[in-house]
Amino acid sequence: MAVPPLNHPCWQRLATGGLSRIKTQHLGTQLMTKRLERSTEPAHAKAAEIHAFFAKWERSLPAEVQQLSTL
Amino acid sequence: MNEMISIEAAAELIRRGTPLSLAGPESALDLLPAGNWIGGTIPYFMVASGGVVVNEGKVFATNLSTLGAVNVACYGADDLAAIARHAPDNGFAITIIPAGGECHRRFADDAANFEGAFLKPTVGWIAGVHLDDLGRQSPKVYDGRTATKYEDRAVVAYVDLPADKTVAVEIVNLFEPEDGDLLNFDTTGFDVGDCRVNGERVNFARYVEARGLAHGRLPLVGDFAGAHVNASLQHVDAAAGKVTLYAPVFPGVDYRFAKPVGDYAAAFRQRLAALDNSGAVMACNCILNFSFGELEGKAIGGIEGPVTFGEIAYQLLNQTMVVVRVV
Repeated sequence: MAVPPLNHPCWQRLATGGLSRIKTQHLGTQLMTKRLERSTEPAHAKAAEIHAFFAKWERSLPAEVQQLSTL
Repeated sequence: MNEMISIEAAAELIRRGTPLSLAGPESALDLLPAGNWIGGTIPYFMVASGGVVVNEGKVFATNLSTLGAVNVACYGADDLAAIARHAPDNGFAITIIPAGGECHRRFADDAANFEGAFLKPTVGWIAGVHLDDLGRQSPKVYDGRTATKYEDRAVVAYVDLPADKTVAVEIVNLFEPEDGDLLNFDTTGFDVGDCRVNGERVNFARYVEARGLAHGRLPLVGDFAGAHVNASLQHVDAAAGKVTLYAPVFPGVDYRFAKPVGDYAAAFRQRLAALDNSGAVMACNCILNFSFGELEGKAIGGIEGPVTFGEIAYQLLNQTMVVVRVV
């Protein structure tokens, strides 16, 4: 499954709390998720960061990528 | 290559242009020529035969030459965000920072917020000294380009991987949170006054003392979206109402004290036997595991590497083994 484009609504959902529901044992995903939970950055900035992360690690994180549009 | 070698062998590798990440006693690192290497002081190591202490004559070498292009950099405390910013798009930054300085503190507080921190991983360790020399000698890092040592800078070996390779950063943390009190902290820092225990504000030092945990063997375990990130106790002063940690606590993170670990060596052996070591590049483990777990002379398996005053996997960790693989 490919990473959805940045204009997909999933990124906004992920940036406003959806990412906290992801099931993962991947350390980088977990630490980034906590960073964003604690961050006061605007949702669009968080969405862009989450998109960039999964675009970069798409090959390493197929199980996580598959969850993105369902969270 | 991840192995303990003589100073002469390390010098020869450096003269041949081999990119290296080195760990060892200051007396050994001081003798190495300029070249494409970084280094940090530490006399403790986990090797195949078990934990060892090396006070002179040898260094632990991680040969980076087969991974890709390697470039060395060196940053002061005000420029630590550049570690990730300058990292190659497909690669990682092996970083060594001396314990106890401004670089250590600011990296610990801020690393997760550096731009690109999770796109271009920073891995590595905190340099230290022999525990008998605490307060008498200072940890150092080395910028091999000029064979210069520093007490408060971060040295970095950037590894630029080929397009068909990627880096995998994994941790082995023996500590699980207990089921008891939930602890939260309102400010980021190594030095803690008050905290909230199950929502009630109390003095942390007096709480630790009352629970009989001032020995420091059990870290706080933070829940970072399911990842267990430790902050270990360095000093508890109940009279002054202050606890000093080896890593900062953060607001917005749930902490609990760890459950005790019985046999550290057996626990590591079990966990490391289940870990995929393919493509392993480097590993480091924590001096508190070495010390409290009495790992000297005890083999635990896994990848050989330095035993350090803090571990880096995206951000500062405590009492944790870090394993870096290229796959």
